[in-house]
Amino acid sequence: MSRRAGRRLFWVTCLALALAGFLLSILTGPVKTTPGDLLRFIRDPGRVEAAIFIDLRLSRAVLAFLVGAALALAGAILQGYFRNPMADPFVVGVSSGASLGAVLAASLGFEAAAFGFSGPGLLAFVSGLGIVSLVYVLSLRRGGFKVETVLLTGIAAGALASALTSFFLFMRSDSYDQAVFWLLGSFQLAEWGQVASVGPWFVACLAAALWLARDMDLLALGDEAAQALGCPVSRVRKAFLAMSALLAALSVAVSGIIGFVGLVVPHWVRILIGPAHRPLFAASALAGGTFLLYCDLIARNLLAAELPIGVITAAVGAPFFLYLLHKKR
Amino acid sequence: MAPNVTEILFALGLGGRVVGVTRFCDHPPEARGIKRVGGLVDPNIEVIRSLDPDLVIAFRGNPLRLVDRIGKLGLPVFVLDIGEGLEALFPLIVKIGRVTRSDGRAETLAASLRRRLEAVDEVMAGVGTRPKVFVLLYGQGLWTCGGESYVDDLIGRAGGTNVAAALPKKWALYKRERIIEDDPDVIFILARSAKDFAAGRDWLAQGAGVSGVAAVRSGRIYELDENAASRFGPRLLDVLDRMARLLHPERFGGGP
Repeated sequence: MSRRAGRRLFWVTCLALALAGFLLSILTGPVKTTPGDLLRFIRDPGRVEAAIFIDLRLSRAVLAFLVGAALALAGAILQGYFRNPMADPFVVGVSSGASLGAVLAASLGFEAAAFGFSGPGLLAFVSGLGIVSLVYVLSLRRGGFKVETVLLTGIAAGALASALTSFFLFMRSDSYDQAVFWLLGSFQLAEWGQVASVGPWFVACLAAALWLARDMDLLALGDEAAQALGCPVSRVRKAFLAMSALLAALSVAVSGIIGFVGLVVPHWVRILIGPAHRPLFAASALAGGTFLLYCDLIARNLLAAELPIGVITAAVGAPFFLYLLHKKR
Repeated sequence: MAPNVTEILFALGLGGRVVGVTRFCDHPPEARGIKRVGGLVDPNIEVIRSLDPDLVIAFRGNPLRLVDRIGKLGLPVFVLDIGEGLEALFPLIVKIGRVTRSDGRAETLAASLRRRLEAVDEVMAGVGTRPKVFVLLYGQGLWTCGGESYVDDLIGRAGGTNVAAALPKKWALYKRERIIEDDPDVIFILARSAKDFAAGRDWLAQGAGVSGVAAVRSGRIYELDENAASRFGPRLLDVLDRMARLLHPERFGGGP
């Protein structure tokens, strides 16, 4: 099969899976509904059905898709940024930093809203970006830019942030549900307002990433080579870092920490369609959204009680991560 | 969305109008037949919406974000907090009565419960010696109720002193050394069944390392119905009566 045909197959399959995922999401849930109910609803909308189909299930599916797409795109960006396949929002500390910010805001009762974010969402973004910048600056101090140093610094900073997050959650005795939400993620409380606050930012980041994708390809040759080829390296790097932090922090702000999507999905996509960054970014977003949509379906339908979605993504993602690790050796 | 609210609704004669309860709502027994919407921290929004209720009553313990989400669906939500001490039970009942248009019945219920509280207060007026009380929540470790718990208030009104009153929490893990130092005269075990109570008593006597404590030596270890005592509802008055009689049998004219 030619590369072009392979790519076309990938896009068609992914789109079909995504559409099927949305339909399944609308049709399944703790309240039993059949395709007949949905058709009847479309012809003659009732109040209760509207709430269940549109307000609860569809908003949740759309949010899960958006967050999955944002995380996978952030992962794809960071893997290119660090020229390292093990990078993801988790490893460089954005996720942990963002969740620390959100939990801190919630415990301090910081509720001021701005730019369409809630207080915790706003602080999540600031602290997510803060921790990445910190990691970046710390790693730059020793003269050269070494990928290993950045990753290890990120892991350490992320661990520190998670420890502080757990501490603040523990200090509030009534926060079991909050702890589960911020440490393992959930779309249980998804609503259209969240979709509206994540959507535009995601679209803007995706567009910017696609526009700058050529420069990312050049960065793969090394910073000096890229500079020689006319790429404004430091500006491009800053833009990508800010985008990945924004995407990851936004995701954490609406759905808590969801691991492995950002790590695993870009790998699948790279194997299937190749390493050129423009198609990689777009395809990662689509595949990540679809992946998380199905993970959320499992999370809310596997058992009578809802599972945190982080449990599902890790259960699927971790074995794949191990496989990759050993295949590389 | 809480067992005590269900209980109060049934006590007001509104059981027939309740369309959904949590999986913990097992009192009165009729409540068990009603559709379960989930637990205290994980009620399912979709199931709640499908029942199309005219009113959702939330209580302390239901996650506020979840309550908020239900409100955004357009369902009227009434949120209640637990308040301070046993006195808070009466306004709670009156409020539930008001939002369910049963003001009269709620006033009557609150008044009769208040009379029972005042009766105990009267008996305990001027009580001389206050036994030191430790409350054990049967399960893993020495869980007890701190000064912010209404159980602390129950102990005080029943004529005792909660040894853990200084803890600034509702429920907390108590330190073994502290119990030995406090040397409580009476221990109440909140148990789900007689079997749990017996197991808890044996554990205190042998396994817990507190066998030297006065209550264990004298055998003044009593059972309290965990189901009634852990719910901020009408049955707390039964618990209060029982506690008072066990702590001060002399004031009730003989044994409990």
